[in-house]
Amino acid sequence: MASTRDIRRRIKSVKNTRQITKAMELVAASKMKKAQQAALAGNPYAQLLARMLARLAPRLTEVQHPFLNQREIKTRGILLLTTDKGLCGPLNANLFKLVLEVKTPAKFYAIGRKGSQFLARTKRDLVADFSVSDRLAFSEVKPAVELMVKAYLDGEIDTIEVIYPRFKNTLVQEPQVRPVLPLANLASFLAAAQTEAGTPADTNDDRDMLFEPSANEVLEALIPFYVNRHIYQLVLSARASEHSARMVAMKTAKDNATKLLGELTLEYNKARQAAITAEILEIAAAQFATG
Amino acid sequence: MPLTLEIVTPEARVYSDTIDTVVIPTTEGEIGILPGHIPLLTRVADGELRVTKGGVESHLAIGGGFAQIEGDTVSVLAEQAITAEKIDEGVVEAALKRAEEQLKAAPLNIDTSELERLQGAIRFAGVQLALKRRVR
Repeated sequence: MASTRDIRRRIKSVKNTRQITKAMELVAASKMKKAQQAALAGNPYAQLLARMLARLAPRLTEVQHPFLNQREIKTRGILLLTTDKGLCGPLNANLFKLVLEVKTPAKFYAIGRKGSQFLARTKRDLVADFSVSDRLAFSEVKPAVELMVKAYLDGEIDTIEVIYPRFKNTLVQEPQVRPVLPLANLASFLAAAQTEAGTPADTNDDRDMLFEPSANEVLEALIPFYVNRHIYQLVLSARASEHSARMVAMKTAKDNATKLLGELTLEYNKARQAAITAEILEIAAAQFATG
Repeated sequence: MPLTLEIVTPEARVYSDTIDTVVIPTTEGEIGILPGHIPLLTRVADGELRVTKGGVESHLAIGGGFAQIEGDTVSVLAEQAITAEKIDEGVVEAALKRAEEQLKAAPLNIDTSELERLQGAIRFAGVQLALKRRVR
């Protein structure tokens, strides 16, 4: 049996761990609240924007826009959204599994240090990595989007996709590959998302749509705007997932430490009692012998 | 049949209600929407949006975006939107001052998106002030 001193030392270290994980849980919880709010508040906006484009796209058969047309996919462009820091459970590992499934040639872009490290480690074609601060302003995401859009227009990559942890709720974050460009199959993707979310389909109005000032002008403004906004929304969602995952991981760690502490305390008390009993026995035996 | 109006900004859903008519400021001038309007997709300019419901007219200041009319649903995507009652002149004036100062102090090689953001803020502040002063 371990000596009381050893047990005491362990109790102390576990207590320390519990304190740290507890503090980290609280920090993550407060950040989570903000991140979730931001992600959820932006949702209706992003959805409405996507819906507008989805209704617009089929009516634009005569308009040629590089963002709209499907072309032969030689190289996929994938943006990987991960966290900068660890200690957030299986969040990043789940994303990496999705990355490993990509067998076709692809160029990677990363936001988040964990992702760029992973891509470098597995020797994938990492074009650029970006870091964003906790404040997560739109202007921080913009350079990444601009670089990808430029590569897309230059024909270096033939799609823009985003691998990110979709925020469902605090306990569930679902790794997902989300196609952003080209928009050719946007309508079908949206329909699938809508049935999943249980929202009713759009009102059917098959009269010709009017564009002001002109279809081209609206499109020119709307599409780049959509791409920016959309990716930004995904980043927000990823951020909400990160803090949720971290909070849950830290809570589990804290609970574990509490349990371990209980067991150790019990063991310590037993050892202490045993030592006292042994001491009394010794005294009694000594008295008996001399008396 | 009444119209359904929905105004959404990145921060929140600002307005969602059934209404009688709405006047939207677009880049081509103001347009009035009545039920049964032809499907339309247009760019929205910074300006003032008027909603009539049951004979009562209410005003919103809105900052740039897109509007879609389809069936009897009017969806407005705006960078910013605020109802006239919620506009606080003091806050707006402070924001306007801040943005103008930032713009003045900005370096020559300022990021274009940042520049646009500041200009947008100034425009929107102007719209809010104009609206507030007139409605009162």
